[in-house]
Amino acid sequence: MLYKVMGRDVFKDFVKSLISDYEFIGPKKKDKAVHDFVPIKDISELDINYKRTTIPPAKKILFPPDEKLVTYEVNEKIKVRPLIESSEKVLFGINAWDINGMNFLDRFFVTDFIDENYLERRKKLIVIGMDSEPTETNFSPSMDSEYAKDGFDLYLTELKDRYFIRINTARGDEILKKYAVTEDALVKDFKDYNNYMDNYRKKFKLNVNIKDFYDNFELIYDDDEFWKRVAKNCYSCGSCNLACPTCFCFNVKDDIELNLKDGNKTREWDSCMLPEYGLVAGGLNFRPDKENRLKQRYRCKLKTFFDKFGRYACVGCGRCIEVCLAKINIADDINSIKKEVSV
Amino acid sequence: MAFDIKYKDKSNKSSIYVPEIARINKIQQISPTEKIFDIVFEDDKNQNNFNFEPGQFVELTVFGLGEAPFSICSNPENKDFFQLCIRDVGNVSGALHRMKEGSKIGIRGPYGNGYFPYEKMENQNILLIAGGLGLAPLMSLIKYILHHREDYKEVMIIYGAVNPENILFKDDIQYFSSRNDISICVTVDNPDAGWTGEVGVCTKLIPRVDFPVENTCAVVCGPPVMYKFVIIELEKKNYYPEKVFLSLERRMECGVGKCNHCHIGDKLVCVDGPVFSLWEIKNLKEAI
Repeated sequence: MLYKVMGRDVFKDFVKSLISDYEFIGPKKKDKAVHDFVPIKDISELDINYKRTTIPPAKKILFPPDEKLVTYEVNEKIKVRPLIESSEKVLFGINAWDINGMNFLDRFFVTDFIDENYLERRKKLIVIGMDSEPTETNFSPSMDSEYAKDGFDLYLTELKDRYFIRINTARGDEILKKYAVTEDALVKDFKDYNNYMDNYRKKFKLNVNIKDFYDNFELIYDDDEFWKRVAKNCYSCGSCNLACPTCFCFNVKDDIELNLKDGNKTREWDSCMLPEYGLVAGGLNFRPDKENRLKQRYRCKLKTFFDKFGRYACVGCGRCIEVCLAKINIADDINSIKKEVSV
Repeated sequence: MAFDIKYKDKSNKSSIYVPEIARINKIQQISPTEKIFDIVFEDDKNQNNFNFEPGQFVELTVFGLGEAPFSICSNPENKDFFQLCIRDVGNVSGALHRMKEGSKIGIRGPYGNGYFPYEKMENQNILLIAGGLGLAPLMSLIKYILHHREDYKEVMIIYGAVNPENILFKDDIQYFSSRNDISICVTVDNPDAGWTGEVGVCTKLIPRVDFPVENTCAVVCGPPVMYKFVIIELEKKNYYPEKVFLSLERRMECGVGKCNHCHIGDKLVCVDGPVFSLWEIKNLKEAI
């Protein structure tokens, strides 16, 4: 990691030149509450000061909601060809917890089998991170995600009169050298940065006791009453999955064109909350109850991947709390488990 | 990326979702609802490289329609082709049943790191318990064992079917009965007038097995409802949980541990299974 500082006056030109030279994706205001990561053509469209984190999250750039994986031609011979789209892009203004979400997906998509579709996009994505204001549903410090240790090229932190820049890759260093005038960070810069981070962390008001949840999860696992209560209002709509920066479930479907010759295999996001998630041919459903599906979601987020990778599959962004139609609150549920087991 | 990727096999950097083209060489109708498909890869190189373990499965694509996982039911030592025994029950299987010999399909796999651990079973008595279509994945193991018969002690198959006409692999069963180094007992739920064999569910036959448990492996495959009752019977006889192997079914979209549909607790049936020991299953709530 290299550390540099850049004057505030340089920032605008830096961004402008990135927009003109790269396929540039950044946060743009969609309506009064929501921002979305979209291609940006002009700096006026860009709005870094977003608060409501973008829905859907930036994972859609690496793992699109529907994506053609394979294309084929059915003639005398069948020709099959993989479709791996990859173009260099700049993802600008993504915050730390969403970078951590991508870091989780990185690990997931290369474990056991390597998913080239994901990997190619990730390798060509230049990530320039910036902090954003947390919402009141955000509990990322509890999930150790409010700070990105890696998974980005550059991370810009806005101090009073300058930007403190963490440079994580040689690629990021080159970009910075090419497009901006910077100076090496000095002791004062580091002190200001540390002060900034202390204050920044204070902006997160919601805490969860994830350790208690993890420790007591097996204990509460068979408590049907508890899970029924947690899932009581669930509509099984899957909004939580769509908004989640770490959800990765998908379906693969085969489509054939009207000429009955050309076809594709397409993957599309699926949701573990939908009733047909566990349905197999013959009509048997391995997860017919909503409380069971919600339990499995919590297990996947808060236990499975901690055991596998040493990190939770939840970054605490709070999107699922905001989008849930039934007001199911994962933070409350995590915190309630301690009370539940001590009674 | 937050870390470097190390490829296990650098030569094979293509997409994990691309099937290889294969041909249905032969179709045999073996019951009113099941057919056996003999499958050969179009490219000889793929055929030569296709080595599978008993209990593994493939993802089969019917182009334009979809993809589904099927267990392989042929002898792993047979390198010329492999066989799938498929029931006409879903989209993909229904389309397969309408296909003719010579039709082209796509195959990915074989998949499943958890297969029947035939090395661990060496020098053991083998009790195989199958219900209905569950005989198909076991068939691969049975044929492997018969191929290497001297490595195993006594071998017994217990097979339960609904009706006499639903009995699968009738030719193979007849052949097994003619051999004196393997015993097979078939039971049906609903006997017809001509049926002279056992009647009832297959669990009923387990108490009669007199293999010493300390050197016996049991292998179970059948409909999900069957496992619970088989396990009760095996536990009554004090079978060692690490010597009982069960093949599980779940919904799969990818077969390579990415789509997550087949998760049970912290395990994925596609990469960690589909075969699990009873010990693993006891630690996996909701597996059975």
